[in-house]
Amino acid sequence: MPAPSYGLIATFETTAEVMHAAETVRDQGYKFWDVISPFPIHGMDRAMGMRRSKVPQVSFLGGLAGFTTGMSLIWWTGASNYKLIVGGKPYFSPMFAFPVSYELTILFTAFATIIGMFLFNRLPMHYHPVLNYEKFHRGTNDRFFIVIETRDPRFDPAATRALLEQIGGREITELED
Amino acid sequence: MSTPTASVSTAPVGAFPVAPGATKALMLGLAGIGLTALGLFLPGNTASVALSWLIGLVFWIGVALGMLLLVMIHHLFDANWSVLLRRQYEHWLSSLPWLALLFVPLIFVAWTNPTLIWKWMDPHFDLAQVGGHGTVGDDVLWAKKSGFLSIKVFTLVTAVSFAVWIALARIFRRNSFAQDSDGDVRWTISSHKWSAGGIPLMAVTLTLCVILWVKSLDYHWFSTMYGVWYFAGCVRAALSVGAIMLIWLWVRGDFKGILNDNHLHSIGQLMFAFTVFWAYVTFSQYFLIWNANVPEETFWYNLREHGDWLWVGMVLLFGHFLAPFLTLIHYPVKINKKLLPVVAAFIALIVLLDICYNVMPAKKLPNGDPYPFLQGGLIWTLTSVVGIGGICVWAYLKSFATTKLIPIRDPRIGECLTYHQPHAD
Repeated sequence: MPAPSYGLIATFETTAEVMHAAETVRDQGYKFWDVISPFPIHGMDRAMGMRRSKVPQVSFLGGLAGFTTGMSLIWWTGASNYKLIVGGKPYFSPMFAFPVSYELTILFTAFATIIGMFLFNRLPMHYHPVLNYEKFHRGTNDRFFIVIETRDPRFDPAATRALLEQIGGREITELED
Repeated sequence: MSTPTASVSTAPVGAFPVAPGATKALMLGLAGIGLTALGLFLPGNTASVALSWLIGLVFWIGVALGMLLLVMIHHLFDANWSVLLRRQYEHWLSSLPWLALLFVPLIFVAWTNPTLIWKWMDPHFDLAQVGGHGTVGDDVLWAKKSGFLSIKVFTLVTAVSFAVWIALARIFRRNSFAQDSDGDVRWTISSHKWSAGGIPLMAVTLTLCVILWVKSLDYHWFSTMYGVWYFAGCVRAALSVGAIMLIWLWVRGDFKGILNDNHLHSIGQLMFAFTVFWAYVTFSQYFLIWNANVPEETFWYNLREHGDWLWVGMVLLFGHFLAPFLTLIHYPVKINKKLLPVVAAFIALIVLLDICYNVMPAKKLPNGDPYPFLQGGLIWTLTSVVGIGGICVWAYLKSFATTKLIPIRDPRIGECLTYHQPHAD
């Protein structure tokens, strides 16, 4: 029984080629596809039609959680659970709770950013089907690839292959999942 | 990547003349200054006018110093994206000699009418007039500080500081404008070196000046954060004016094909960062004084919780920090050419209010309470700010018309024009 197909991979030789190809794939309405390049290509995110990362929203929530934690921690320990007068100050004041809340805002924002980045990137990822491609190592050196996945609703074995050929893709190969 | 330099207009800015605008700015400036001067002839307004003039100067000098600092920071980081912003700042720096000239009346006041603004300038001043007792000369807190708080030191520090600022501004302007014609990289290297030396000079002169000009209005007070507070205000005002200049040039058409979203994103990020920095510094100052609870320090804030000053303080807390923080944190706001100038103008206005908050309560009633914020004398603050601002804008536009729109031969201009950050929306 043949292994189920992951998608089609096509090779490109220059950044300009792969960039224009990506624009066409984007305009064709594909959703589950990717570009593989040995280095970051300025403008590729736009050419791929990628939306802005959602990580900042997770960061913001983390910061909010940190600030709330700091404030409630100081309030609960000093003014609720075990009332204690320190230095003639009130049991609770946002003044002296602020440095703690500020630090926790930063700490929780950092944690949330890292965790959000891992979640949205689905990291850690120990296996990826494109690693099965015997010429994949060129994609870490001097070649560029476009991979279109079979799970894309617009994927059609013949039409997608034709599209990849039409936009200049070479060595179009089927990837095993 | 392709270099779109070919499509960039390198023509002098003659296509969009700025001369009429410059004349208007000059007229507005002179009108403001004239109206402020008229205030001197209205009985009982002298002290109000003098303090207002100080506020106007501290604000606009702050804008210029913030720009000078940002130019030096640009050179120290060998930054690329800010090359086109730097050129606009260089133009604005031509206002510094005029600001020095406009400061002369205050030096004149110091020598001829020493108690008008800074009470410590006259050791015989009777503190009973402002809610104290004895004279300034009897006051141990002045006696201990008298080596620094003297009219001679005041004059000397002001003169030397202006000399340093004007000299640095001239060097950066010359280096940048000379490079337009010969493209020699030695101008850039010279600017790097002068920036490295200039930053510590700026730190010292800016701190000493704001201590003498503003902090010494309540000479009992102690705060080691004061210079940093002014620095934060200077940079925030300079970034705000910078953002407005960039978008103004884009709307006029000069920056079509030059200014991109990434430039705006970067200046928006700096505006956001300095919002947090200002809050950090201002809160630190307040928190340490609140925590130590020493009368020689707390009185400064007690004055500012009196009457409507409490509300001014609240406006600063929410308007100077929270509102810009929650607005600028969003990426789409930073690159919005309609919204960013509004946020920038708002920040600049609040920097001005912050200076009012620091200066105005120094004018006290005989029982020691400050005059309220909302009072007739506020009109002189308006005329001073408009007057001095008009002169600054005139100086900027006059310099703007003399050179290229962008530093066309700067080693980093290519990177600046193709400035890119990974993003999409």
